[in-house]
Amino acid sequence: MSFTHLHVSTAFSAHYGVSWPEELAQTAAADGATALACTDRDGLYGTVKHLKACMDAGIDPIAGVDLAVFDDDGDHRTQVAGRVVVLAHGNNNGAGYRALCRLVSDAHARTSGKAGGAVPVAVTRGELASRTLDPTTLKPVLTVLLGPDSDVGRAMGGRKYLRPRTLFKQWIDAMPPGTLVAETVTHLSAPGEPLSTAHAVRMLKLALEYNIPAILSNAVRYCAQDGAATADVLDSARTLKSLPELSTAPMLQPTGQGWLKNAHQMLQLGKEIMNAAGQGKADLNKLLANTEALADKCRIDPVLDMGWKKPVVPEASILGIDCDPMIELTQRCEAGITKRFPSISGETEKQMRSRLVHELGIIGRLGFASYFLTVAEVSRMILEMGVRVAARGSGASSLVNYLIEISQVDPIRHDLIFERFLSGRRSTLPDIDLDVESAERHNVYREIFDRFGAQRVTLMSMQNGYRARGAVRDAGMALGMDEGEVSDIAKQLWRFSARKFREALVEKPELRDFAGRVERGGLEENQQLDLLVDLTERLDRLPRHISMHPCGVILGDATLLDRTPVQPSGLGLPMSQFDKHDMDPMGMLKLDVLGVRMQSAMAFAVREVIRLHPSKAEVVAAGKHPVEPGGKGPDYIAADGRIDLNAVPFDDEPTYELIRSTHTLGCFQIESPGQRELIGKMAPREFNDLIIDISLFRPGPMKSDMVRPFLEHRHGFAPEIYPHPDLKPVLQETHGVTVFHEQILKTFHVMTGCGLARADEFRRALGDEIHEPGVETYFRREAIKKYSPEVVDKVWGTLKAFGSFGFCKAHGAAFAVPTYQSAWLKTHHPEAFLAGLWEHDPGMYPKRLLVAEARRLGIPILPLDINRSHAQYRVERIQDGSDRGKLGIRLSLTGIYGLSGAELKRIVAGQPFDSLADLRARGRVSKPNIKRLAQLGAFDSLHKDSGGKANRADLVQHLQALQSSPARKPTDVIEGQLSFALGDVELRNLAPELPEPSMVENVRAELDLMAVDVSQHLMDSHRPLLDKLGVTTADKLLGLRNGTEVLVAGVRIATQTPPMRGGRRVVFISIDDGTGCVDSVFFHEAQEESGPLLFGTRLLLIRGTTRRTGPKGISLSASKAWDLGQPETLPYTDLLPAGGGMPAEYTHQGPLHGISRNLAITGLGS
Amino acid sequence: MGLFSESVDVDCTDLGQPRTVHWKGHPCTVINEPVRWYERRQWWIEESRAPLGSGAGLVDHEIWRVQLEPQQEQTPATHAITLDLVRHVGSGRWRLLRIHAAAPAHAVEPDEAA
Repeated sequence: MSFTHLHVSTAFSAHYGVSWPEELAQTAAADGATALACTDRDGLYGTVKHLKACMDAGIDPIAGVDLAVFDDDGDHRTQVAGRVVVLAHGNNNGAGYRALCRLVSDAHARTSGKAGGAVPVAVTRGELASRTLDPTTLKPVLTVLLGPDSDVGRAMGGRKYLRPRTLFKQWIDAMPPGTLVAETVTHLSAPGEPLSTAHAVRMLKLALEYNIPAILSNAVRYCAQDGAATADVLDSARTLKSLPELSTAPMLQPTGQGWLKNAHQMLQLGKEIMNAAGQGKADLNKLLANTEALADKCRIDPVLDMGWKKPVVPEASILGIDCDPMIELTQRCEAGITKRFPSISGETEKQMRSRLVHELGIIGRLGFASYFLTVAEVSRMILEMGVRVAARGSGASSLVNYLIEISQVDPIRHDLIFERFLSGRRSTLPDIDLDVESAERHNVYREIFDRFGAQRVTLMSMQNGYRARGAVRDAGMALGMDEGEVSDIAKQLWRFSARKFREALVEKPELRDFAGRVERGGLEENQQLDLLVDLTERLDRLPRHISMHPCGVILGDATLLDRTPVQPSGLGLPMSQFDKHDMDPMGMLKLDVLGVRMQSAMAFAVREVIRLHPSKAEVVAAGKHPVEPGGKGPDYIAADGRIDLNAVPFDDEPTYELIRSTHTLGCFQIESPGQRELIGKMAPREFNDLIIDISLFRPGPMKSDMVRPFLEHRHGFAPEIYPHPDLKPVLQETHGVTVFHEQILKTFHVMTGCGLARADEFRRALGDEIHEPGVETYFRREAIKKYSPEVVDKVWGTLKAFGSFGFCKAHGAAFAVPTYQSAWLKTHHPEAFLAGLWEHDPGMYPKRLLVAEARRLGIPILPLDINRSHAQYRVERIQDGSDRGKLGIRLSLTGIYGLSGAELKRIVAGQPFDSLADLRARGRVSKPNIKRLAQLGAFDSLHKDSGGKANRADLVQHLQALQSSPARKPTDVIEGQLSFALGDVELRNLAPELPEPSMVENVRAELDLMAVDVSQHLMDSHRPLLDKLGVTTADKLLGLRNGTEVLVAGVRIATQTPPMRGGRRVVFISIDDGTGCVDSVFFHEAQEESGPLLFGTRLLLIRGTTRRTGPKGISLSASKAWDLGQPETLPYTDLLPAGGGMPAEYTHQGPLHGISRNLAITGLGS
Repeated sequence: MGLFSESVDVDCTDLGQPRTVHWKGHPCTVINEPVRWYERRQWWIEESRAPLGSGAGLVDHEIWRVQLEPQQEQTPATHAITLDLVRHVGSGRWRLLRIHAAAPAHAVEPDEAA
């Protein structure tokens, strides 16, 4: 005999279920079951995984949900009356599954989508009743199980005989006939307790009395007995109560019997119930037969009921197409040829056309034309919103994508292989990722919902599982341990899985103390620590909750919400209960729409350019863009001055000059110290060089020393070596070094003739323990037919080593586009570009470094001004003074310490202000913030205009005094009545008493309130001392010979300790001295010499020797460092000629003195 | 509850029901149908380890309430006694949990760790 479990929670019942769908399905199948249900709580979170697990185990899946039901007699918004299990009927072309999806969405429809919302996930009995019948056939498609956790089951306790009967009767009256079943469960708890056999008997008797079928289940939460303890801990995590508290309540499971019992054990339970009920064998058989009959009714056909692996895309009509999508796609590609390859002909055209036919053939065979049209439509829609969008990832490998303007990279020119993206051997929808401006991402989401209709779109979710820190916190809470103590332990846990906790205790030095305490645990008071480790390991990876995926959007046809349940996301838009692993199985089209700050920065820059230069001629002049004789300038600049960044050709020489100069701060992907060094060594000359550069700068290639041979070959220091002349065309562009996935594919193909589609499968198998041996066998067998054993050995070695971490060239190419575009903007429109960078802060450095970069480029930084500063940074044409006619960047009012968003809005709305009184009245800015604005010089112009004689220090003192005086009622300005423009009497009458604040004081205020040094570079005030010490500035380093000993000084901007081969830590510290960056490396001895200064200082004086890395690259190998912020610690006697005391200008405190903000200024938190 | 002082020898039927219990050195017969249930344990207090895969018996233990009658008339007490016995699921060992007075209503807990 076999038994079918119809009530099973998987681990995807967050904080409830313990076991993974695979374990459950395998266990059930091993016991001879032919079907298994998955009834997760509140959703279908584990359903798709369950389907796959059942198919793998060779049994039929059953889909259901465990839902709370609102109390009909209570407050419908908050009070629930128990839980029921709802099972979908199968083999009805999805009618049951559809109803289940919609029911689950109903249960979430009233919730807020935010944590701790007041409305529970639950359905009303009315909703439940209406969903149980198919809307067209009016036949039952769902079955509701009333079990021990239903209102009926919960009323079984005590001696209330009438109450359960009344409740049961209510269900019968409310539900359509044939949709209700009584679920008898015994967890063998003590007689009279919940989940006791006695309760099961009472449920059985009710069913018999009212002629409702009764079934047997075990309300499973774990696959085997061992899971019971984990379930206890999950109950604690869910209820936020410790185990001792739950035990007293009592709220824990009464026994540990809720496991997936086998058919024999279930039969025994059935017998026990029947014995206790005084029923005979016939009744037992009836109970089991009912169970199997219901199971049979609910067996799901994955393909027919749930559309397993059948891709569904939006209807052609919604895309505005009335013909076959394949014809439409072909036509659009044709149109694209004229645009992308205007003057193509001859052999190149033939080559391009044959590639197009190849790609369209594969797309046609897979039936994916609508998919490409859908992505093109989203891409077009985003562009139409005026938002920048770029395809990222392997999508750039497709000529079709290039022709229909999804991607901006020509795959033929860059030799990108379509099969890396899509091949006839893969039937799943490919991934096309779209990068959009980060600031516009949510608007783009909303627009997609509007464009395709809310019934066709939902956001994708992601499962968040327990990791070490969360697990130890919840395990500690369960044990009732001291929160502070657990927190201290949690802080030590870094980057290992919770399952390896005990292993980590032995290995990790940072856990040494804790490990010692665990060991002594048996003897001392901390007996619990051992348990803590065990429970932490138990929680590892278990799902905790779902959240909105950072970029996934699911697009479908009008039936999408019949195929996925949805619930509100924090954003207010609906979110699917399915995650990325569920997309392919469910045939769902997922689009990754990523927010990228650099795209926002570039869009900002383009807008600033057009605002400042509202015509083509002005933009051409300002950007020094190339003009052909008699021409008007390049086509990518429109008549109104709008620059089409995507149309800018990739061959602008000044842009490559800028890149080679290594002054690439702010440029996408190439601004880090390591990348600036690599760029300096490589000296890129063309777009392909950028692709290679980006692909090389990855942990794999860097660690495995691929970069050095590549550079040696590139610069001709060493001859290029090819394993065989046949591979020269494959490896030539990277001088014989295998860098790209594409090269691995071609190598397979060249040496074995396997075809590129199979080659990509081989590549995927590399590094995979199970599949790699097969690939090796195949490769060796085929390659040996044409090549010598030495060549085969050598090439296999390369494939094996690089296959697992090589980089997809298409990725590199897609990344290189914004890299080039950002460098192009920096070259031609540096003011607008830097303003964009300050506004959207996309990079790895503190913002103050990008301000310093503007200063280095000679771009005036315009101070804060109450009437000229806006909520955003702005480029301004300077009207007077020595910089007259130049473009400068005006600081924004955003990001001033203490100034609230509301105050900021009122200031911007109220500008201009003619006096402080005006600002107080209309801007309603608080006293401390007015003082702060004064410290930053925001009133300097106003003050000057008022004709007052006093200075900024006097004003600040005056405002400080006002702050401590009692508040007076502000003079109300009556709406519509203009205040009499007297000028500012307050400012004019201010008595000049104090000396002007010094530059150091002003810069200090700027650093303190904005974390940016504006008036002057913060190193400038240290200059006299540095000059005296003979410190070399960054701009002079490049002129020095390799190996010159120098002193450098500056403010820290980056600190990195990358993992190194050989295990010895190396610390990279970059400093900024106002003339540029100095990148220094501290090896072991220098670290010993410098001690705590390595991480603890902001201003550094470093001694080291120069290391020339390339024509434009130089860095420093440090030998020792000092803290400039403590002049008394500097070794003057070593450094300065003897004699004489120190003049004040050497020893004074700099602008950073007394400022505690570290992270925003140096990029290193304290 | 906590440590049970007394280990008990029990013979079971094929179905796992106690048949004879050695009580105070004398074999006794289980009369009437014994009652069986499971009770939860405060394992977080009673155990110092709970590693993954430790198996059954951590969270609950099996309780049998048996009525015994001595097999030979050697003891002065001739009336039946009722005991609650615990079977450890993992090891299969039996221990005494409670002794009921003449009527099962008055349970007496054995001295802990006596």
